Amino acid sequence: MLKKKRFFIGGAIIFLAIGYLGFMGFQSSATYYYTVSELLEQKSSIYDKSMRVNGQVIPGSIEQEPGSFTLRFTIIDTEGEEHLPVVYQGVVPDTFKIDNEVVVEGYLNADGAFQAHTLMTKCPSRYVPEE
Amino acid sequence: MADIGYIALLLALVASIYSAIAFVLGEKGRYQALIESARNSLLAVYGLVSLSMAALVYALVTHNFQIEYVASYTSRDLSLPYLLSALWAGNNGSLLFWAWLLSLFAAVMILQKRDVAKELVPYAAAIIMATQAFFLITLLWLSNPFQQLSFIPADGRGLNPLLENPGMIIHPPFLLAGYVGFTIPFAFAIAALLMRRLGDEWIITIRRWTLLPWLFLGVGNILGAWWAYVELGWGGYWAWDPVENASFMPWLVATAFLHSIMMQRRRGILKVWNLALIILTFTLTIFGTFLTRSGVIASVHTFAESPLLAYLFLAFIGVIFFGSLGLLYYRSEELKGETEMESLVSKESTFLLNNLLLVGAAFATFLGTIFPVISEAVRGVKISVAAPFFNQVNGPIFLAIILLTGICTLIGWRRTSVRNLIRNFLWPLVAALVLGIALVISGIRERYAIIAFFFCSFVFFTILYEWFRGTKARHRMSGENYLAAFFALIGANRPRYGGYIVHIAIILIALGVVGSSFYDAEKEIALMPEESMTINNYTLTYDNLDSYETESKTVVTTTLSVYNRGKLIGRLTPEKYFHRSYDQAVSEVAIRSTLVEDLYVILVNWDEDGTTAFKVMVNPLVSWMWIGGGVFFLGGLVAFWPERPKLPAPKQTEARK
Repeated sequence: MLKKKRFFIGGAIIFLAIGYLGFMGFQSSATYYYTVSELLEQKSSIYDKSMRVNGQVIPGSIEQEPGSFTLRFTIIDTEGEEHLPVVYQGVVPDTFKIDNEVVVEGYLNADGAFQAHTLMTKCPSRYVPEE
Repeated sequence: MADIGYIALLLALVASIYSAIAFVLGEKGRYQALIESARNSLLAVYGLVSLSMAALVYALVTHNFQIEYVASYTSRDLSLPYLLSALWAGNNGSLLFWAWLLSLFAAVMILQKRDVAKELVPYAAAIIMATQAFFLITLLWLSNPFQQLSFIPADGRGLNPLLENPGMIIHPPFLLAGYVGFTIPFAFAIAALLMRRLGDEWIITIRRWTLLPWLFLGVGNILGAWWAYVELGWGGYWAWDPVENASFMPWLVATAFLHSIMMQRRRGILKVWNLALIILTFTLTIFGTFLTRSGVIASVHTFAESPLLAYLFLAFIGVIFFGSLGLLYYRSEELKGETEMESLVSKESTFLLNNLLLVGAAFATFLGTIFPVISEAVRGVKISVAAPFFNQVNGPIFLAIILLTGICTLIGWRRTSVRNLIRNFLWPLVAALVLGIALVISGIRERYAIIAFFFCSFVFFTILYEWFRGTKARHRMSGENYLAAFFALIGANRPRYGGYIVHIAIILIALGVVGSSFYDAEKEIALMPEESMTINNYTLTYDNLDSYETESKTVVTTTLSVYNRGKLIGRLTPEKYFHRSYDQAVSEVAIRSTLVEDLYVILVNWDEDGTTAFKVMVNPLVSWMWIGGGVFFLGGLVAFWPERPKLPAPKQTEARK
C-alpha cells in the first residue's frame, strides 16, 4: 500500500502544480469580454482596464490613415444602438471589412474611444454568410 | 445530380441503421447470416456515401450553381484543385467528407484480415455505423450540401482568396481524417467493454488504427500552423484560438493513449486508464467538431452558427461521454491490473507521469477554451483568457514532458539501479551540459530558453546514444557495416524506432517554438522610397512601389533590398492582392527563410505621397518547425508501417515480458 500512496502523492503534486500554473496564467491574461452595450453600461469604472469587446463595424466609419498604422472605425452591437469608436494601432488583418463582426482588445479611454492593440475578425470566408 | 446525392445519403442512412442493428442482433443470437448481411450493408454505406460525394464533386466541377453549396464556395474562374478543395471549404461539404471518410475507414476495418479480436468486430462495427447514422442525419436534415436555390446564379460567390494556398488544399483533409479516424479505436474499446473481453486483444487491434489518425491530426495541425504563417500575414503560426485548441486537445490525449497502451501490453496495468483515454479522445474530436460548427465560442474561424446543430451535437457528446464512462464504471471490477507498479524510478512511472502531464495540458487547454462559457454561467459575465494563459500553463508542462521523453528512453522497466542510471545517463547528460554551457557563453541569457535548449539537447543525445549502442551491438553480432546495422536496427522494431524519430521531430518543433517565442524581433515602420530601416543585423532599403493587373486581380507590389551587415543578400517583394471577384484584399508576405532565422515582411498600406507602412519581423529557428513536421510524418509512418508477415503467424504478437 505504501507504494500506491507514493504514486497518489506524486499525482497530487502534479495536479497542484498544473493548478498553480493555471491560476498564474489566469491572473495574467483573464479579461472581460463585453458587447458594446455591456461595455458602455460600466461607465467610468472600467477606464484603462484591459478587455475585449465584440461588435459589428459600421459601414462608412472606417478611416485608415494611409502610410501609417492607425485605423479608426466605429462598432455597434448586432442588435443595438450603442456606438463605440475604436482606434486601432497595428497591422489590419486581411479579413477586416465593412459589416464584419470584430473582436477588439484594449482599453477604454476617458474620452470614450476604445484604444485597441489587437483586432480580430470573425472570418466569414469559408462559411455561409448571413443574408 | 443533387437528387442522386441526396437520395444516396438517405439510402446510406437506412443501410447504416440496418447494419448497426443487424450486427448487434446477429452477434447476440449467433446468426452468421445476419452478420454477413450487416457486413454487406456496411459496405453498401461506403458505396452510397461515395456516390453522394461523387455527385457533389461533379456539381462543383461542372459549376452547377443551382446547388447553394456550389454557388457559395466556387466560381467559374477557380482552377480544378481549388474547385475540389471547395468540397471541404464549407460546413456542409466538410460534413459530407467526414461521413465519407468514416464509411471508408469502416469498410477498410471490416475487410481487414485479423488474427486477434475477431469477436469484437460486430459490436465495434455496430458502434461505427451508429456514429455514421448520426452524421448522415445531420447531413440530411440540418446541413444538406445538396440544398437547391430557387434560381440559377450566373456565377458563384467564389472561394475566399485566403484559402487559395496549397496548404489549404491538404490541411483540412488531414485534420478531418484525424478526427474521424478515432472512431475506430473508440468503437473497439466500447465493444471490448460490452463483451467483457477486457484483455489485450482490443489494444493490439487498434494500435495502428490509433496511430494513423494521430499522425493525420498532428500533420494537419502543423500544416495549419504553416498556412497561418505564410498566408495570414501576422507573423505567427499558433494563436490558441478555440478551433486550434479543438484539434490540439484530442491529439494530446491520443498521444497519452499511444504511450499508456504500451504499459498495458508490457505489464498488464492501467486498463481503466486506457479505456478512459480513448473515450476522452473520441469525445474531444466530436467536441471539436461541435466547437467549430456551433458558434458557442467566439473564434476566428467558426462556421455559421446553427443552434439546432449545436444542440444535436451536444446531445451526441453527452451520450458518448456519459454512456461510455458509465459502462466503464460498471465494468471496473473486471479491469483490475495484473501487477502493480514497483518503483518510482522505472519506465512505468515515467510513462505514467508523461500521461498525467499530457492529459493535464489537454485539461488546461480545455478550461481556457471554454472559460467564457463557464464564467458566464457562474458569474454572469464573460471572461476570456488569451494566448498568455495557454503559454504560461502549457510551456512548463511541455518542458517537463520533453525532459521525461529523454529519461524514459534510457530507463528500464520495473526498477532501475543507481549504477544502471549513471551508466545510461552519463554521456547524454555530459553532452547536453557542454552544449548548454556553450549556449550560455555564446550569449543566451533567457532562463526559460536555456532550460528548454538543455532539455531538448539532452533528449536528442539520449536517442542518439541509444541508436549508437544498438547499432554497435548489431554490428558486433552480425558483422554488418554500421550503416546497414543501423537500418536493420530500425527495421527490427519499427514501432519503437519510429517513436524515437517522432521524439526527435517534437524536439525540432520545440526548438522552433522556443526560438521564435523568445528571440523574435519586430518593427512597424513607415518608409519613403530610398529610405532604410534596420532590424537586428538586417538593413532594408525601400526601393519602389508598383502595381500591375493580372487576369483575376490587381497586384500592388513593393521591393525592398535586404542587406546583412552591409552586404546585399537579396530583394524582398511583399505584395497585396485585390481580387476582382472577391471583396477581400490578401497580403502576400515576403519571407526570406534560412535555418537560422526568417526575415518576414508585410506590406501594410501606402499613401499617394509615397509613404508606405511595413511590418518587419525576424523569427529565429522557425524553419525547424516545418522540418520537424516532416520528420514527424516520417517517424509516424515508420511506426505505422505493417511488419512483414512472419510465418507462421504468431498468436500473440508480443508476449509479455
